[in-house]
Amino acid sequence: MDRRKALKFTGSMAAAAVAGPSLLSLLQSCKNETRIDWHPVFLTIDEAALVSKIVDMILPRTETPGALDVKTDIFIDKVYANLYDAEAQEHVRKEIEKFDQDCISDFGDSLVNLSESDQIKVLQRAEENSGQFGSGVWGTTVGRPEPVGFYRSLKSTALWGYFTSQEIGENVLSYDPVPGAYHGCIPLSDVGNKWSL
Amino acid sequence: MPNFNIDADPKHTYDAIVIGSGISGGWAAKELCEKGLKTLVLERGPIVEHPTDYKTANLDPWDLEFRGGLTPEQKEKHYKAIRSGFIGQDTEHFFANDKENPYTEVKPFLWIRGHQMGGRSLLWGKQTYRWSEMDFEANAKDGHGVDWPIRYKDLEPWYTYVEKFAGISGEALGLPQLPDSHFLPPMELNCVEKDIKKRIERDFPGRHMIIGRVAHLTQPLNGRGQCQYRNRCSRGCPYGAYFSSNAVTLPAANATGNLTFRPYSIVQSIMYDESTGKASGVRIIDAETNQDIEFKAKIIFCNASTLSTTQVLLNSTSKRFPEGMGNDSGELGHNLMDHTYRVGALGKVDGHQDKYYSGRRPNGIYIPRYWNIDQKSKTDKFLRGFGFQGGAYRMGNSEAANRKEFGGQYKDSIMKPGPWEFFITGFAECLPYHDNKVFLNKEVTDKWGQPTLSIDAQYKENELAQNKQIQEDAVEMLEKAGVKDVIGFDNEHEPGYGVHEMGTARMGRDPKTSVLNGTNQIHSVKNVFVTDGACMTSNSCVNPSLTYMALTARAANHAVEELKKRNI
Repeated sequence: MDRRKALKFTGSMAAAAVAGPSLLSLLQSCKNETRIDWHPVFLTIDEAALVSKIVDMILPRTETPGALDVKTDIFIDKVYANLYDAEAQEHVRKEIEKFDQDCISDFGDSLVNLSESDQIKVLQRAEENSGQFGSGVWGTTVGRPEPVGFYRSLKSTALWGYFTSQEIGENVLSYDPVPGAYHGCIPLSDVGNKWSL
Repeated sequence: MPNFNIDADPKHTYDAIVIGSGISGGWAAKELCEKGLKTLVLERGPIVEHPTDYKTANLDPWDLEFRGGLTPEQKEKHYKAIRSGFIGQDTEHFFANDKENPYTEVKPFLWIRGHQMGGRSLLWGKQTYRWSEMDFEANAKDGHGVDWPIRYKDLEPWYTYVEKFAGISGEALGLPQLPDSHFLPPMELNCVEKDIKKRIERDFPGRHMIIGRVAHLTQPLNGRGQCQYRNRCSRGCPYGAYFSSNAVTLPAANATGNLTFRPYSIVQSIMYDESTGKASGVRIIDAETNQDIEFKAKIIFCNASTLSTTQVLLNSTSKRFPEGMGNDSGELGHNLMDHTYRVGALGKVDGHQDKYYSGRRPNGIYIPRYWNIDQKSKTDKFLRGFGFQGGAYRMGNSEAANRKEFGGQYKDSIMKPGPWEFFITGFAECLPYHDNKVFLNKEVTDKWGQPTLSIDAQYKENELAQNKQIQEDAVEMLEKAGVKDVIGFDNEHEPGYGVHEMGTARMGRDPKTSVLNGTNQIHSVKNVFVTDGACMTSNSCVNPSLTYMALTARAANHAVEELKKRNI
């Protein structure tokens, strides 16, 4: 069983490459040179550009699709729009604002406009400063860890969106909707990438 | 499966009425129907027909609009049960609407309800253990609560009977504190669990670590398929591989032609006939039409779930029973118990990085009780004891999110499974305390204008002493077993989190101190039977559902014998 060696990578990345910007709806940011090719529901264009940049840096395209190839940024906007209540929405908006302000005051500009090396520094700092999730048992966290900061929370939502996208879930991770049996101790090499379900 | 008889039946008189269709109600329906009684099952919620009404059973995360996440509206609808951490977009329709069915927490208490055909038998954890002789003797020995009117030997044949029909997988051990069931083949431990089992059993004589005993078929049984290891149980199992009323007992009841299943039936009270000294029937409100309807029957089985059954009895007042049906003792509503929950330890496991598993096993490990089972294991720190559930698995997104890395290499690395983690969490027996209680609240009414419950219960010294021991033992066992970065935890959960609520209409020998007799009949209203968790006199430390099944089958058999003898 080595189904993961042949990556059936024919989905959104290839489609995006073929389509090109001219066919996509391009939304120009009002203050940055960046643009996004989708219509955010909750986020502003600037906020969406920042979120897209962060998740692209966390999960860039390699031999496998990146976060943006599977529309992880669009999913995150959808989560904020539909699964966050008004209080949580206000909170995340403030946190995005603060992330941006910190970036401007310490590095001179918004993340999207920084040099690649400065962008990496920003994320390295965020990795250090945004706390850690506590361990969980059966759906809830054990103990009472401090709440994580914006970056860690965003990273977690990005991983959720990325790994539960159909492209990654069916074609990149090991996908077996009806295993039929349980084998408790097999070589990892028989499976390859981790199970998607 | 043939359709259930859900037509508006002009006939309002049956041989038997069963209130509720969860684990115990399904068994009551099956047994009574198979013994030839025309039986009406009253269910508060909608029909969930196996397997056609398991709407989310085959959906992958990307098929769900929010990939499993809940909207603020859904969270509000489940504002109580959401605390459990178990509700997702794929299962929320099987959890009751907390807004329409309020309850009052005098002290914090989590009450998780399933208002549909099958009740919580669609949602339960399937861990299935026999109670032991020492469980039935516990109250008599240490003087807490009242003595059980039955012993293990009274229930043993009924355990056998229900196990053979339900299908229980597991491994026989011959332990006195955890009697063996009639087992289908056990599920497999994974590499790390096998390793930890060896170390724990070597370093802690008298302790055992086994695969959980579960109501999952590991081979086909009576036309039901075996477990496919999808671990999507709470969405309903299309294969009927785990025990639920929907897949197992209700179809059997229906096959007799004696079953009438009535959904959307809010039971208001059980009617009492002063002239005969018996219950005459059940009064309901039709949840769709708000119409009041009365059904008559010779016998009534209360299987609405522990607290709902007691709520119905408290609301069943009459000249004879001004404080609720069968409440001569004043014990109705009292002695509420649950198991303590989410106290234990977890940590990372080095090694086995090149090993993995295939299939999503809906089961984990079990460590049977080892304190206070004989002279050698006796402690003066607490009475009774606890067992552990747990398991080893390779970590997923939260571990990956915690790594202080990002970028291409990071992304490629998290395509592989994370490090192994192992955890155990204890379930401790709770003593029956008179002042852990529920009572009717007429100030707060439900959607149908019925009084609701106030719940006033808390863990006390003996439970807290056990939790302390659970955490100490858990940390010690994991550390000795070579687990790294061990974290002990106690989430100090209030009762209810275990979802093993028991008591409030206890069985007993003396009508002055108990509500039910040794065959689950209300002492003073012999044609009313309570065989759900409300009947429990103590609560062991093992999961109770199998015992409800056995008690129900035994009581149904007795009910029919008594009917034949015209004793009820």
